[in-house]
Amino acid sequence: MTNARGRALRRTAVGYGLLAPSMIGIGLFLIIPVLVAIAVSFDSWNIISPPKWLGPQNYISVLTDPDVWHSFLVTAQYTLLVIPTQTILGLGLAVLLSKRLPGTPVFRVIFALPWICAPLTLGIVWKWVFAPTGGLLNAIIGTRVEWLTDFSLALPAVSFVSVWTQTGYVALFYLAGLSGVPKDIQDAARVDGAGEVGVFWRITMPLLRPTTFFVLATSIISSFQVFDTVYAMTGGGPGAPGRTDVIAHRIYSLAFEQLDLGKASALSVILMIGLIVLTVLQQVYFRRRITYDVAN
Amino acid sequence: MATNPYRPLSRGPVRRIGSTVLIYAVLIFGAVIILTPFLLSFMTGLKSPVQFSNTSSLSLPSPITWANFQELFGPDHNFISPIAVTVQMTVVILVVQLSCSILAAYAFARLSFPGRDIIFWAYLATMMIPAVTTIVPLYGMFTAAGLRNTFWALVLPTLFGSPYAIFLLREYFRGVPDDLEAAARIDGCGTLRVLWYVVIPYSRPIIATLTVITVVSHWNNFLWPRVITSGPDWAVLTVATADLQSQYNGNWTLVMAATTLALLPLIVIYLIFQRQIVNSISIGGFK
Repeated sequence: MTNARGRALRRTAVGYGLLAPSMIGIGLFLIIPVLVAIAVSFDSWNIISPPKWLGPQNYISVLTDPDVWHSFLVTAQYTLLVIPTQTILGLGLAVLLSKRLPGTPVFRVIFALPWICAPLTLGIVWKWVFAPTGGLLNAIIGTRVEWLTDFSLALPAVSFVSVWTQTGYVALFYLAGLSGVPKDIQDAARVDGAGEVGVFWRITMPLLRPTTFFVLATSIISSFQVFDTVYAMTGGGPGAPGRTDVIAHRIYSLAFEQLDLGKASALSVILMIGLIVLTVLQQVYFRRRITYDVAN
Repeated sequence: MATNPYRPLSRGPVRRIGSTVLIYAVLIFGAVIILTPFLLSFMTGLKSPVQFSNTSSLSLPSPITWANFQELFGPDHNFISPIAVTVQMTVVILVVQLSCSILAAYAFARLSFPGRDIIFWAYLATMMIPAVTTIVPLYGMFTAAGLRNTFWALVLPTLFGSPYAIFLLREYFRGVPDDLEAAARIDGCGTLRVLWYVVIPYSRPIIATLTVITVVSHWNNFLWPRVITSGPDWAVLTVATADLQSQYNGNWTLVMAATTLALLPLIVIYLIFQRQIVNSISIGGFK
């Protein structure tokens, strides 16, 4: 009896011993900062003098600030430009790659290349591609276009770079999904006289729904946090409020340029809550689907 | 001779060759779009400023000049330092973070003790926290601790384990056969020796995947180093490249030499471990 209890105690001690480093790290550098962010969001704080209690004033000022709403709008527009484009292109490429023609592995490596590179560095490379003088794109088309300082072109240009970076990753995900689609169901449909297009829309796409859902959910969540590409290419501009001033960039400039850390924290807490709601909804939907599939 | 009624007409040889050509055309077009900015930016780094302004951006460098790279490594820019800082930061985080994550994942996967599941769910929940939310408080904490602009500031926040790595490792550790572990225990191995001699060797694929993910994501990290370091002492490659670009805006030959330097090490690693990396992208979402 005492022996068994002793062993259970020992196991607990070993368990917590193994967890100790990560509990310190995650507690100190993830959980406490979130609590601090929530606390600071009710303070007036400029880093130089200590934070002073302010009440809900930061939230009122965030939610009545037209520049903040502008940033939400820009982020939504960016998301609407990027997500459908990269999902459709990625799916298309995946279908072509799934034919397993000779050379397919080489194409897979090439398409995924931008995904492993730093978005910041790629953003600088693309700033050169779009540069009005000496830039690559204007050399190709032969006229001078101010891509990144033009009010109507800047956001599409930044969005294009995100699509360019992420399409290969979406394609690899779909390729993995496609390899899980049973060939015999597709063949059965063909024998019944379905054309390739019919097989794709009626058989393949419904079976790919979990992949589509996962790709959409994760890429929407990450597109609401886009920062490096914008910082490198446009710095949030052109104009004021900037045409590419996405939420993460607004938080950055509120905190580190205007030194209004309280208001920056309030906006970052709002963003966090929004993203948590999105993630939870995604999980709930996913769970429900999986149980549904098993029940059948 | 009657045609075989079971052979669909759309699968005729002419159409099949036609569709193969079409598939290759699309794939090659995509590859060109992906590769062009890389190749032409590398080429621009090999041109002199005079050559760059007098010729098209599409032209090959002739003659090839290494002057931009010499300038980058010269006393004005000293690009050796950001490379050294980035390598140090990445290696330290990789070794310590992976070790701590392995310890935690083993506890979650193979030991049962009170509180285990609650802590695991708390770890998972932290994966929903956006980086930009913790940046401001971390900046305040590190400034208050006097650690701003130090090596510790670069590594500490991610040093002691990553929830994502712990999650992936735990899934894998759960698949280690019980017999293997029991045999080692009978031979007198304690927990750490079981980890070292049984669990880690068995889990090589996932550890390799995580190594790649960790190296890539910290090599590429920008926001935190941007915020917590200033000046040349602890600038990492991404920060140094961004600063160079804003300081020498328009001096594209120098800036493209810098982006080449920043991109090439990872591209070389990518080409060496391509199969591993391409597979890990579709395993873990890679973040």
